[in-house]
Amino acid sequence: MKNRLYTSVALFTVALLLLIGCAGATKSGDRGTPQELPSDSGPPSSVSNSEEENQLSDEELLLLEDDSDWNDGPTEEIYTVPDPIEPFNRAMFTINDKLYLWIMIPVAKGYAKVVEPQIRTGVKNFFFNLGAPVRIVNNILQGKGRAAEAEIARFLYNSTVGVLGFGNPAKRHDGLNPDPEDLGQTLGVWGIGDGLYLYLPVLGPSTLRDTVGFVGDRYASPMGFVEPMELSLGLSGYNVLNTLSFRADDYKTLKDAALDPYASFRNAYIQLRQSKLRR
Amino acid sequence: MILKRWSVAITIWCLLVGTVGAGNASPTPMDFVKERIDQIITILNDPTYHTPGQKGSQRDRIWEVSQPMFDFKEISRRTVGPKWDLFSEAEKEQFTHVFSSFLGNTYIDKIQGEYHNEQIVYLKELVKEPLALVRTKLVRESVEIPIDYRLRRNDNQWKVYDILVENGVSLVQNYRVQFRSILEKEPPAELIRRLEQKLQEQNHALQ
Repeated sequence: MKNRLYTSVALFTVALLLLIGCAGATKSGDRGTPQELPSDSGPPSSVSNSEEENQLSDEELLLLEDDSDWNDGPTEEIYTVPDPIEPFNRAMFTINDKLYLWIMIPVAKGYAKVVEPQIRTGVKNFFFNLGAPVRIVNNILQGKGRAAEAEIARFLYNSTVGVLGFGNPAKRHDGLNPDPEDLGQTLGVWGIGDGLYLYLPVLGPSTLRDTVGFVGDRYASPMGFVEPMELSLGLSGYNVLNTLSFRADDYKTLKDAALDPYASFRNAYIQLRQSKLRR
Repeated sequence: MILKRWSVAITIWCLLVGTVGAGNASPTPMDFVKERIDQIITILNDPTYHTPGQKGSQRDRIWEVSQPMFDFKEISRRTVGPKWDLFSEAEKEQFTHVFSSFLGNTYIDKIQGEYHNEQIVYLKELVKEPLALVRTKLVRESVEIPIDYRLRRNDNQWKVYDILVENGVSLVQNYRVQFRSILEKEPPAELIRRLEQKLQEQNHALQ
């Protein structure tokens, strides 16, 4: 009698497990604890029973948490950077706006029409690869040994197998794609605040700290050593143009979506830098 | 034997609780987002809309499909922030209406103009009831743009209430700082008026 009951219960369990589709756990009929299903991951199509407890990293928790900046209370905690020279910045913004809309974006679009995406991607990879020394130094300065090693490995890999960095074969390897670090972030990690918001000619949104970082990074960059100066600037300009060719419409998208474009770009920049600092 | 039976019972219990929990939420947050985006992409690729003069009806169709994806009331509440309490019920409604139309116009116009078979990769979903985060990335040529959808479950239905680009740039927060500076000096009606004006400009441009 007892045996039959046990059998039917076991059969029921097996049937249930099969129904749920976790075949791996079918043996659990006589185990003390239910087997844990593997947590998420895997291709998106296979994510069907994701009510499971997720493994959340701190960063993901922050992204998930909707109450991190405001929750019905009278106060809100949006990270802002002082903007004491707002009139100057706004004037700069207007000038840059014309520069982008009338010159840089049309040129980038024309360039994108003439030059194949594969070539532009190669150029992008090449300049990105040249930025490796800067990223390596900053990873070391931030004590991120693993990422520094990954940067070095990627630099060697892409410079050789990727033919002087025009290819990016390292992209396929998960461990070889650390988050890019710059001196602005390093200074931030060291506890130096943003100071004040700056809207720079040509370059666009920045802060005092990030501007110092930008200048400092030039000293670690091979691009900074190119002589004469005009060639160095020309190459940097070409890099900017090439990068822009991939995202030529983004500037206008952001601008059109805003009620106050200046405030929108300022906030987007600050949020972006904050998210990089967290990583 | 008794111990065995107990363990069986516990096993079943755990499984039942687990499946009931999952069964309620018929589509998971990721399935929900993916289903809607797939529909939008189908409309974007639909050749019947590629003939001249069909852009308007395509826009309407995209709006129809995408609207249920979002909780516009929650989006409005969050973009206004603490000052939401200063809005009268009528103003709240008005604001929600005009702001959602504004968002719809802005972004649908963009994707209509700029969608070129970008690939959307669904990375993972994180659930912490009643909240969820669906992590995706948009792949365009060789550029990858991370886009995360923040969802909240309301009346047993997942809805998007914020979108994060580039690993944490919140669109809601971006609008909030813009609206805040207006609301510091002006009454809610003025913000609504400005949005309406912007909406009119858009409608004019879309004609």
